[in-house]
Amino acid sequence: MILAPLDLKLLRDLGHMKGQMLAVSLVMACGLAMMIMTSSLILSLESTRDAYYAKNRFGDVFSDLKRAPNALRSRLLEIPGVTVVETRVTGRLTLDLPGMLEPADGTIISIPDDRPQQLHQLYLRRGRLPATDRQNEVVVGEAFAEAHGFEPGDQLDAILHGARERLTITGIALSPEFVFEARPGDSLPDNRRFGIFWMNERELADAFELDGAFNSVLVDVAPGEAVAPVMAALDRILAPYGGLVAYARNDHGSAKRLDDELNVLHGLSVAFPTVFLSIAAFMSSAVLTRVIRLQREQIAQLKALGYSSGQVGWHFLKFALVIVVGGTVLGGVAGVWLGSGVVSVYHKFFRFPSLTFHADYLAVGSAFIASSVAVFAGVIGAVRQAVKLPPAEAMRPEPPAEYRTSILERLGLQRLAGSSLRMAMRNIERRPWQSCFAALGLALATGIPIVPGAMRDAIDYLMDFQWDMAQRQNVSVSLIEPGSASALNNLAHLPGVISTEEFRSVPARLRFGHQSRRLGVTGMIPGSRLSRLLDATGTPVGLPPSGLLISAKLAEILGAKPGDTVTLEVQEGRRPVVNAVIQGLITDYTGVAAYMDIDALRRLMKEGGSISGAHLTVDAKQWPFFLEKVKESPLIASLAIKNASRQAFRQSTAEMINLVQGLYFTFSIIVSFGVVYNSARIALSERSRELATLRVVGFNHREVATVLISELVVLTMVAVPVGLLIGTGLAKGIVTAASTETVRLPFMISLRSYATAVLVVLVSSTVSFAVVSRGLRHLDLLGVLKARD
Amino acid sequence: MPPFPESAAVSARPPGEVLFSARGLTKVYPGGETDVRALDGVDLDLRAGELIVLLGASGSGKSTLLNILGGLDVPTAGTLHYQGTELTHASDGTLTRFRRDAVGFIFQFYNLIPSLTARENVALITEISRNPMTPEEALRLVGLGDRMDNFPSQLSGGQQQRVAIARAIAKRPEVLLCDEPTGALDVKTGITVLEAIQKVNLDFGTLAVIITHNAIIADMADRVIHLSDGCITDIQSNAQRRDVHTLAW
Repeated sequence: MILAPLDLKLLRDLGHMKGQMLAVSLVMACGLAMMIMTSSLILSLESTRDAYYAKNRFGDVFSDLKRAPNALRSRLLEIPGVTVVETRVTGRLTLDLPGMLEPADGTIISIPDDRPQQLHQLYLRRGRLPATDRQNEVVVGEAFAEAHGFEPGDQLDAILHGARERLTITGIALSPEFVFEARPGDSLPDNRRFGIFWMNERELADAFELDGAFNSVLVDVAPGEAVAPVMAALDRILAPYGGLVAYARNDHGSAKRLDDELNVLHGLSVAFPTVFLSIAAFMSSAVLTRVIRLQREQIAQLKALGYSSGQVGWHFLKFALVIVVGGTVLGGVAGVWLGSGVVSVYHKFFRFPSLTFHADYLAVGSAFIASSVAVFAGVIGAVRQAVKLPPAEAMRPEPPAEYRTSILERLGLQRLAGSSLRMAMRNIERRPWQSCFAALGLALATGIPIVPGAMRDAIDYLMDFQWDMAQRQNVSVSLIEPGSASALNNLAHLPGVISTEEFRSVPARLRFGHQSRRLGVTGMIPGSRLSRLLDATGTPVGLPPSGLLISAKLAEILGAKPGDTVTLEVQEGRRPVVNAVIQGLITDYTGVAAYMDIDALRRLMKEGGSISGAHLTVDAKQWPFFLEKVKESPLIASLAIKNASRQAFRQSTAEMINLVQGLYFTFSIIVSFGVVYNSARIALSERSRELATLRVVGFNHREVATVLISELVVLTMVAVPVGLLIGTGLAKGIVTAASTETVRLPFMISLRSYATAVLVVLVSSTVSFAVVSRGLRHLDLLGVLKARD
Repeated sequence: MPPFPESAAVSARPPGEVLFSARGLTKVYPGGETDVRALDGVDLDLRAGELIVLLGASGSGKSTLLNILGGLDVPTAGTLHYQGTELTHASDGTLTRFRRDAVGFIFQFYNLIPSLTARENVALITEISRNPMTPEEALRLVGLGDRMDNFPSQLSGGQQQRVAIARAIAKRPEVLLCDEPTGALDVKTGITVLEAIQKVNLDFGTLAVIITHNAIIADMADRVIHLSDGCITDIQSNAQRRDVHTLAW
């Protein structure tokens, strides 16, 4: 193939400026990589989720109840819109695992043994389902099995409804209802201490004294039918059987957690790329404006030879096209590579039969168009200016650059400025937009690493808040059934227990206007010392004798404020419905909750000294004996050990945070390196004659470098504080975007995070400048004697 | 790096002292199949207080000679001494120091820093020199006492060249090397620029070496060195230097 002379010129020109083209393409690639990575992750998660939900028949409406006869199933099937009803038995079990001092716990669910499983079909990874003619066989959830290295054939000890049993694992499985395999209400999985188990229906019903009955319903609603009437009908039919409020997929713990994650990804897929593309557009504009300025005479000659303005204009737009293609290819490759890496991290949080990475090629196409628009918008002005010059005029050198005194001098501060600084200030003022964008690029580079810093700070604070300030107990014990004062007495007499603080918790629905939420309402003793309710500053909030304290996030969701009256519909016991005044808001970071005085709750439930469990402090020396006793207790449903929760939380966040930090640091380094490299290269090229003159008249390399760097130093000094503000804003935006009903992060940035961000930018800028300043050694000292301006 | 030999006052130096001594000075530029001998065995002594004009056609080697004298280039063969110090194999640092302390350059296209005013362009040099005059003093010497705060873009070509001369002389150099200083100027402006060079040469005893294509300028010199194909073909001494005012071309 023979290239046209103009294309040959293009290739050779590109060869001379490959460093700069690469710098711009890399910055652009950062934005596109982010865009393609997040879009591909969204595509991967959504398509995998949808296929999984469809294939393994994830239900549309769910309800839990106390006990209803299996015969009720046919009545449920008559609800208009309902196509499938699956009834089942669910319960909690406590596990005594070898090598673990503390007990683990889990949810155990029945598998129909007299009919095919129609909804929430298991995906059996290994092994087989429990045999109908054998006892104590279970299938285990994959995450829990992986955490313990369990394989089919292994055995474990469990307490089911007060009875100790030795269970045999027959298979490892997944279910669409446990994509997020975590304890209900937990924001992150703790796979060592919580697992999902499946057992044959008859056997499980037997264990939980639910022969011929069920306590959980899954419903499939015909496509196009509304779920609300189905939920209402379910509530109506199940109410006499102790039915709790029915809920749809959008309120399902696992589904909601996954949807929240997708919402966060949607937010990230737009904001970040926009910022990167703007910077890349400016950089392209700066590079091409310089190329066009240097090639002024060549443009004139081309036009004099008969090339049209269109041909010349297109020739220069091809430079931009090369940047865009380069950026898109680099960004596409990086996005796909990063995305496939991040997918494997998602596997730790979200369990699918197969979470394969799907590159979003539509996003690659959109990225190409978005970057083309951004870059072409940046360079079109310079190209137009170049082609509209008459050839004769273009062949004359540009008139000398006009300067004026800088603002420092106009303010009478010239004594503060040496020659280098003066030159820098005047150069900056002469090209305010170019300087502005360079500073903006550096500011952005400063801001980016603040985001992972803020996330780390937020998690540190969250952990302190949650496990030091709010929870001062060592362990919280939940009972299988509400107990009486004697139950508290029993807990107090467990080995090593120093102090106890009882709580009573009931499932409920809070309504305010058109909004409602299912949640647990916890009754606490006023002035509690172990488990405390705190406001955003960490100050304890006093429990009012009547009314509710609710999570600030819940108030936001309901659109309620302190002083408003909400309807409290308790879903347990005699199911009272009362109006309650929101007396205040408390701060928490996972889920949403409501609290009230324990005696007020007991009065409401018409109970005496009932408890659902207690917070305990335990003597460290007695800890193993305490756990030993707890494991043996048939009345204890679960144990929340503070240190274990803290450790699990740290472990599961650490990998994600490290990944995000690595990614953002890399982006920051690329942007600051790219911006400085580009600015310095342009300055070196535009001012090479000036700098060479300085060398000729006796300036040494260091002194000339000082002249060159002064401008960048001034820009950096302006950019860094702005960048700290941008980073603060970015972090705030991301924390807000990531603030969901299931998990939230406090907004917190430490001095260390700010300092790290500044350091990252300063180091990469310095290295970048050092690379460029090597060019000072090759200045053409002889050329300046002859070349004209 | 030791400072270059101090020259307290150039005007006090007895005229005639040899500053530059070149022997067999040769510069070969590799040019693929055929090397280009830009200088071919030049022997030359240049003395303090002299005004030298280098004449020759394009490619005769005069710019190469000036570059080597100014420490901007090094010869391929031969030796060059400046006041007894050998420059032939000097390091980049030594050459920088030599240019900073001893040499003033004047270029055809002025090479002023566009973002600095006339005064600041001169101050750029006085800041790094050991015994400079003030920028104001230097600018007054070239007749620009009233344009000190103008930027280059606000000055005419001749005025810009005079700022360049002020910048070159402000450090009180022992040598003034001028490459086509009037090449870009009209006659009248060219004369004012040459006047300034002559004044520095006479007042301070500075050795001035001027490259020109203009043979008429040769009349203001003490000696006129003709170059051709890298060799000195003739050195003509003027018994009487013509005053710049009387020149016309």
